[in-house]
Amino acid sequence: MPLVEIRNLTKRFRKGDEIITPVLDLDLDIEKGDLLALMGKSGTGKSTLLNLIAGIDQPDAGSIAVAGTTITGLSRGKLADWRAAHLGYIFQTHNLVPVLTAYENIELPLLLLPMSNSDRRKRVNFALEVVGLSDRAQHYPRQLSGGQEQRVGIARAIVTHPTLVVADEPTGNLDEETSRQIQTLLQELNRQLGITLIIVTHDVDVASIAKRQLRLEHGRAIGPSQSPSAAFSGL
Amino acid sequence: MFRFAPYIWKTLWRHRTRSLLTVSGASVAIFVLCFIGSIQEGLNRMVQGEDAQRRLIVFQENRFCPTSSRLPEDYSRQIAQVSGVTDVLPIQVWTNNCRASLDVVVVHGVPAAKLPESRELRLIEGQWPAFVSRTDAAVVGRQFALRRRVRLGDQLTFGSMSVHVAGIFESDSSAEEDLIYCHLLFLQLAESQTAAGLVTQLEVALDPSAEPDRVAKQIDEKLRSGLVPTTTRPKGAFQTATISDLVDLIGYAYWLGLACVGLVLSLVATTTVMSVQDRVQEHAVLQTLGVRPGRVMRLILAESTLLCFWGGALGVGLAWTILTWGNFSVGAEGVAITLRPSSAMIASGLGISVILGSLAGIIPAYQATRTNLVSSLRQS
Ligand SMILES: Nc1ncnc2c1ncn2[C@@H]1O[C@H](COP(=O)(O)OP(=O)(O)OP(=O)(O)O)[C@@H](O)[C@H]1O
Ligand SMILES: [Mg+2]
Repeated sequence: MPLVEIRNLTKRFRKGDEIITPVLDLDLDIEKGDLLALMGKSGTGKSTLLNLIAGIDQPDAGSIAVAGTTITGLSRGKLADWRAAHLGYIFQTHNLVPVLTAYENIELPLLLLPMSNSDRRKRVNFALEVVGLSDRAQHYPRQLSGGQEQRVGIARAIVTHPTLVVADEPTGNLDEETSRQIQTLLQELNRQLGITLIIVTHDVDVASIAKRQLRLEHGRAIGPSQSPSAAFSGL
Repeated sequence: MFRFAPYIWKTLWRHRTRSLLTVSGASVAIFVLCFIGSIQEGLNRMVQGEDAQRRLIVFQENRFCPTSSRLPEDYSRQIAQVSGVTDVLPIQVWTNNCRASLDVVVVHGVPAAKLPESRELRLIEGQWPAFVSRTDAAVVGRQFALRRRVRLGDQLTFGSMSVHVAGIFESDSSAEEDLIYCHLLFLQLAESQTAAGLVTQLEVALDPSAEPDRVAKQIDEKLRSGLVPTTTRPKGAFQTATISDLVDLIGYAYWLGLACVGLVLSLVATTTVMSVQDRVQEHAVLQTLGVRPGRVMRLILAESTLLCFWGGALGVGLAWTILTWGNFSVGAEGVAITLRPSSAMIASGLGISVILGSLAGIIPAYQATRTNLVSSLRQS
């Protein structure tokens, strides 16, 4: 059974009289351990689809099941609990809480789960180690570089050992060099820790680390397209 | 919830200037509220005590200021004959100020030998015999002594008279503790050589079965035929009537108190709304991480409640300190309301600030959880 099962998913937006349907009757399966790149032109609905999978937006029709749990139709509170336990979200701009240190930011999602203090400490320290920021634990976001902030954001997304991690243009705000480092990190997370990752990206380099690439067009997923050049021509 | 305490604290600390201004604003308003409350409490103490209901004051009809009421001292013998009356105490009242004032001096001249038995006063310094035997002796209430730094053996001068402090007393009634008692004849002669035999008022003690209003009526009827017509009322009613202007003022102060409440509410609400609007994205991030909307709401409520509570605690503390060390009494026409800090004041001051704090947070907290997560995340 696939980890994520998306069936007949439709999402519409109303802008005055105009109705936009970025996701239309979409079917998609994602296997456990997959690293999926979602590509496509701007405005094709990549973020919309990702947010639906992440359970921070609700579809107009269809269903999404993650590890057997149908998340479409859950209440706000239940969805929050589900995200706390099963989802890691990596934002384009790191979105760290500015008043908390790197350590505290990473610890934040763990506070929502039943866990002893010592387990929590171990998990945070491990996550810091994974992203290579053990020596920056007590730094505040404003004392970190953009790339370091994004690493903290990634550590925060994986610290709960989520079932699924989604990332919306995780390198969108970074320079080439830093972007490459983040790519490597994401690839390692997938290969070594077996984390299932869905990455929305415009960047063919980022897409190249993916095991599978999908392009969104007219509300549907087209793929798998294996070669980066095919994806590139779609931009 | 406590796991998020560092987050709450750091959020408030990040905008410390704003937090501090809000706390100090709230503290000033809560301070004023406590002060007004303690005036109200003092008034209640004065009019609701056992004494206030069970004792009568006989005063000259249509007179209000103690300097203008003059009754023959021997009215006391006639009053003593009315059934239900157990004792009559003639009192000559002297006050430094007939108008409303924050520092009233009220001297009661009474038959010295009768004082220890007719009032429940406990001497904390000095001896009764020393007071009774010396004609210019006075005993001074504890509050007054504290306020004016009066010590045993001091010579106190008011107007044209000077008394020797032979004792300092405490009493369960705070109004008593603001008084000075001296010998009746001494006070009469100090005012005028012709004042002997005249007193300001007569205080009537009743037996437990007597009905105060009925006895009061009988006294007035009996004395109607005398030289000077009288008005007799229970002590509490007499005091409220005497300082009716002040009582009205205290009534208006209630509205001032309400204004303080509104001020705190809008101040803390404004701060919280600003703080929440600054952090639309942050709250959306928290919810994306899995913080339930209800918890986000509680976090915001905790912020506003803490701010308000700190302000309240500061205001209550300030009021407590000032009332303790100031020993204030507001009074007029020889009747004084004493202001004292009380546990009720502390509890209600803190309680009100907690309630106001949580009320102030409700709207911003609700807004923060109603926003669309996706669009809030896009804001920056
Ligand atoms: N809240 C909304 N209200 C109305 N229209 C919306 C809303 N959110 C998204 N849309 C529209 O839906 C479409 C898909 O948007 P989405 O953000 O998913 O695109 P995207 O593929 O992520 O684009 P980009 O690559 O530029 O990030 C766009 O046309 C957008 O204008
Ligand atoms: Mg997008």
